Amino acid sequence: MTAWVLGLVLASYAPQQAGSALLDPPREARVQALGKQLRCPMCQGLSIADSSSSAARAQMDKVRELVAAGKSDQEIRDFFTSRFGEWALLEPPARGMNLLVWLLPLALLVGGGFAIARAMRRPAPATETPAPAPRTEEERPPSDDPYLEAVRAELRR
Amino acid sequence: MSRRGLWIGLSLAAATAVLLFVLAKGFGRDPHEVPWELRGKPAPDFILRRLDNGAPVKLSDLKGKPIVLNFWASWCGPCKAEHPVVAMAARRFGQEYQFFGVVFEDTEENARVFAGMPDPSFPQLVDERSRMAVDYGITGVPETYFIDAQGILRDKVAYPIDPRTMMQKLAALKQPAGPLSEVVR
Repeated sequence: MTAWVLGLVLASYAPQQAGSALLDPPREARVQALGKQLRCPMCQGLSIADSSSSAARAQMDKVRELVAAGKSDQEIRDFFTSRFGEWALLEPPARGMNLLVWLLPLALLVGGGFAIARAMRRPAPATETPAPAPRTEEERPPSDDPYLEAVRAELRR
Repeated sequence: MSRRGLWIGLSLAAATAVLLFVLAKGFGRDPHEVPWELRGKPAPDFILRRLDNGAPVKLSDLKGKPIVLNFWASWCGPCKAEHPVVAMAARRFGQEYQFFGVVFEDTEENARVFAGMPDPSFPQLVDERSRMAVDYGITGVPETYFIDAQGILRDKVAYPIDPRTMMQKLAALKQPAGPLSEVVR
């Protein structure tokens, strides 16, 4: 662990090389767009286009080389997934188990909306149960408490 | 409980179970671990220049003897700790295996000092702009790749290799390709 921390600290002193020569604007736009889709292997959650690490720069060079060689976007993505698997893609493709990540929130949203709509459509109870009328003093059973009886007698007057 | 309530409860339980499964799958793995899909596949060919004499080294010319490729840089602290392990293995097993160092993102001056030029323990190769490193799926340094005599990538160690691991991986290189071993970071 210590070695890794030390390595990361020292890595910031790695001699930086400039990226390879830019292509013409349309192809360079493709390079940047593809770079935004590919995960940097030395960073956490950054694309290779956004990272300043040497490994990311080397990968951007590779993307540029493949674009210049006339490879399609899918062929270039395949180059990286053939090395790092789908981990290389910042946005998981919507197939297989990944489909759950895309569909489950949608299903929960639809299900939740349906439940709320049903709850709102349900009619309110027709009449409320009337509260029992207060008993009169005569109806109350006699109490053993002489003080309470005295109060009741006073009230009956 | 009404029939409708039962269905709603079961649906919610199923959705929760699926969500938990997806989360467990994601949280159950080390976020620093980068998958490597080249195991068992032919090693990408390369032509690199030797750091000491500039002679070209072509992978396809090296078939017939297992190869150990060690990526390093002079600015990498763990590489300094690891280098003696690879040098020792190269001295001891250099007759049976071919050991090469590959300089990753470094200046040649610094690399020469690091490798002990003009008498390095094993040949060091210069990978211009890390093209070959990207082909091998490197995620940082140090990393050590093991290629069998038929030119198949058999394993990768993505941390500073220790003598015991080195011995195990070298021995495995002589065995027929079997169940795939795990990369440990």
